[in-house]
Amino acid sequence: MNRTSIITLVVLGAILVYFLTFGAEGTRKLQAGFYRVMSPFLSSGSGIKKQLTSVSTGLQTLEELEKDNASLKVENRSLKATNQALRDVEHEVNRLRRALAYRERALFRLVPAEVIARDSSTWWRTISINRGKADGIEPDQAVVTDEGVVGKTATVGDNITIVLLISDENCKVACSIEGSREQGIVSGERVTGSITPMLDLNFLSKQANLNPSAKVYTSGVGGVFPSGLLVGTIQSFRVRELDSQARVTPAVDLSHLEDVFVVTGRK
Amino acid sequence: MIFFVVLLILTFLAQIVEFFIPPLDWMYDARIYIVPVIVFYGAMSLPFPAVMGLAFFAGFMLDALTAQVLGNRVEISVGWSILLYAVLAAIMHGLRPLFIKGRWEVHCIMSGVCTSAIVLAQYLMISFRRGSLFFNREAWWQIAGPGIIAILIAPLAFWILHWLAGLTRNPYRPDRDAYDAYDAYP
Repeated sequence: MNRTSIITLVVLGAILVYFLTFGAEGTRKLQAGFYRVMSPFLSSGSGIKKQLTSVSTGLQTLEELEKDNASLKVENRSLKATNQALRDVEHEVNRLRRALAYRERALFRLVPAEVIARDSSTWWRTISINRGKADGIEPDQAVVTDEGVVGKTATVGDNITIVLLISDENCKVACSIEGSREQGIVSGERVTGSITPMLDLNFLSKQANLNPSAKVYTSGVGGVFPSGLLVGTIQSFRVRELDSQARVTPAVDLSHLEDVFVVTGRK
Repeated sequence: MIFFVVLLILTFLAQIVEFFIPPLDWMYDARIYIVPVIVFYGAMSLPFPAVMGLAFFAGFMLDALTAQVLGNRVEISVGWSILLYAVLAAIMHGLRPLFIKGRWEVHCIMSGVCTSAIVLAQYLMISFRRGSLFFNREAWWQIAGPGIIAILIAPLAFWILHWLAGLTRNPYRPDRDAYDAYDAYP
């Protein structure tokens, strides 16, 4: 080994030691800075991907278009019929909303954000969104859609934020179950091989006896997730030696996220 | 030197492209990694200091993009991927005489093995941090899958990179003409 190689190894070793001594705050700053550099590339890549996807999905054969046209005509007639009924429902919903002062009760300041990239690694489940400190986002804030919980913010840059998805093993959410006094912790799986990841609801009592299809909501314990947000639906339940565990299907389709909201506080 | 810069740029671009490549659901969500293939080609075609530079760059990007900061702890500290890349690239660099003699197939296979080794090392590290270790079918596929894909894409990637190496007059080209240049390289 020549002298240059030895010097290279010494320099690399010194840099490694320096990096390995980084704490959480240092890593967060480094990561936020690096994502700031990467965000224009990720945003451009996201745009290109969307264009490519729309082109590939837009290309249809004549036969497919005829089939689509026929089914749309049927759907149109059906929609016209239901539209009138929905007007009545809408009126009723508005009335109930006013009555319950829904807006006053509902409560969260939401920052809309667009998903610009998904994590490229095997073992972590995160997404990057196009909002950051400049929009009032901080670490450990809940991220939701109108369907339910998506995850929580982790590293926050000026205009980009990494969101830890609820399907990640490290994202733990205190939950309560509809129609039950049981409380548990929902977390993702370390390894999942399916498009729709499942969640584990742990630390339930052995007597829980939960019904499949019961809904799971955030309990508000822990402070990150406000209470009452839909997490998912129980798919199966099993009693273990010391406690019981349920499998939960996430309420949100995490594999096709496009727009999310960050809960930045209460109104 | 020009080829080294070319590889740095390609590594950067590949890292961005990886963000937009969806996992392969028919392979238990195994992912496609392009960066290791480029780095391991560099390990065979660049002098040792440049190999370490490339390994540092790739490892740093991987760490900076994937480090999980949870409250006051970091799951895998920045630096581990640099170490991984540096060790594996050094091993590949040790096989360089075969590459220079034109035995590229060994390196295609080794690129796959090393790619899987990176994913396996990450899995072992997070398992250690999370306090439990298990291997199910999905885990094995997600470890072996990227390696298999790397083996499959390596010949094409190596052919393109070899062409670029020729274009930039990199002296470590895997052909017999370059062998003299290799011997003469300081």
